[in-house]
Amino acid sequence: MARIVACYKWVIDESDIKVNPDLSINLQNSKGKISDYDKNAIEAAVNAAELLEGKPVGLTFGNSKCKASLKDALSRGLEEAYFINSEKADKADGRVTAAALATAIQEMGEVDLVVCAEGASDTYARQTAPRLGACLDLPVISSVNSFTIEGKTLTAIRKLDDCLETVKVELPAIIAVLPEINHPPIPGLKAVMNAGKKKMVEFAEADLKVDLNPKNQVLDLQAYVMERKNIVFADGELTEQVKNLVIALKKEGVI
Amino acid sequence: MSDIYIYSERLDIAAELIGFARQNHKEPYVVTFSAVAAEELANLGANKVFYLKGESPLVENYAKQISKFLKEQAASHFMVGATARGRDLAARVAGYMDCGMASDLSGLTYVDDELICERIIYGGAVRQKEAFKDFCVVTVPGGLFEPVQGDCEIFTIDLKADERVVLVERTEIPSRGNDLPTASKVVCVGLGLAEEEDLSLVNGLVDVLEGEIACTRGIAEERHWLPVERYIGISGAVIKPELYIALGVSGQIQHVYGIRESKIIVAIDKNDKAPIFRYADYGIVGDMYEIIPLLTDLLN
Repeated sequence: MARIVACYKWVIDESDIKVNPDLSINLQNSKGKISDYDKNAIEAAVNAAELLEGKPVGLTFGNSKCKASLKDALSRGLEEAYFINSEKADKADGRVTAAALATAIQEMGEVDLVVCAEGASDTYARQTAPRLGACLDLPVISSVNSFTIEGKTLTAIRKLDDCLETVKVELPAIIAVLPEINHPPIPGLKAVMNAGKKKMVEFAEADLKVDLNPKNQVLDLQAYVMERKNIVFADGELTEQVKNLVIALKKEGVI
Repeated sequence: MSDIYIYSERLDIAAELIGFARQNHKEPYVVTFSAVAAEELANLGANKVFYLKGESPLVENYAKQISKFLKEQAASHFMVGATARGRDLAARVAGYMDCGMASDLSGLTYVDDELICERIIYGGAVRQKEAFKDFCVVTVPGGLFEPVQGDCEIFTIDLKADERVVLVERTEIPSRGNDLPTASKVVCVGLGLAEEEDLSLVNGLVDVLEGEIACTRGIAEERHWLPVERYIGISGAVIKPELYIALGVSGQIQHVYGIRESKIIVAIDKNDKAPIFRYADYGIVGDMYEIIPLLTDLLN
């Protein structure tokens, strides 16, 4: 049976990020979530599995907290979930992430299609799919807006900055999908209940003979602050407020 | 360790990257897949232009061969324009080189011989600085550096493509009618807009401003009221207009990423606690349905 792997990332919910007075970042009380765009990747993998009459599975690389994501991922239509458990995921760069995912994919055996999102909602580096292609020496199609599969031929429409491209590839292959490719439904109660009964496989770091040390050295993380005037026109009637706004914009020379 | 290899199908970015190399006393070399582009690139101050000639019309298909070429040339860095195609090619090359990479930089400098890269993460909330000692790949958007001039020779190199992905058809997306990326005035609607028909009200304001209409991801992707090319944010358009007016936009961090370089940000929303007010220069707390006609009239 064909196997379709959806790669996803368990990320910090950016709305939980706290900024300290010195602009350093406090992530201690932040909750996790499946990266927003990876929900599209999971849905695309589930759709591809229907076309291929195969089995959609999920794969993630994260620290021990990421285990909480497996049920969520499985409730979205995946049949099995694979989890590479490593504290090194916290400091992973694009190379480490791709190397870890690639090694796990090789462990799984035959894979027909790997689906990634174009980028993760925390780093949005857009490296995973192309790098996975290099690690596994598989063909890659990025910026996928829609796709169809006939037999073992996948035809995709890519949306690039200035053009649409129709391209085709013989599977196995890797695709990176754009967020607009689909609208993942919110899992129903039954799907959530069933998720816990599905197969979950954990890889320990030691199981994967791969170097998980990043090539970059992170020097500094600082809150991004926009210097803005923050003037709210609240005096007088609405008409007056709008007038004051127009006066201010004229002074700025932008109208 | 000072040979910088540069690629971008956007020649303005390639030119700026050559400028960056020169400014930092490094040696810029440019690769291109187009004979026409090669001619133009040969006047922009590089040491050499390599015209890579092959059968495939897909640049990404040369990644493996480019990584071999860069190794042979003993390149110190590969710098690529941050376009959809450029990012893909860059990450594949980084994959085949098994090296570090930093994407979509907001800043790039050398300190001693280390490359210091700055980028924005967590949907725009955090700025990260990272350093690379060895060969690495970076992608860089336009507008960060000044181009220079100077002539150089073009060398043609035959390159074999990975032809597993085949191009069937390419259609240009007509840019006419979507001047959002370069507009100086942008009016953006968010989910505060109740009905699709109400877009005509917003368009009235857009017209008197001679600006462009934009929207949040929800308006484009959930409600389909405007095309996806019109939505602003980390996964959509990133703009830097003189004036940006947000109407009924809550101001989620992913959206704000796309407007952070705007000169003036105006927020109009019913909810005084909407995050958009934190990112705004000027704001009015109130009903956009009352404010838009008043504003349109005054500007008329």
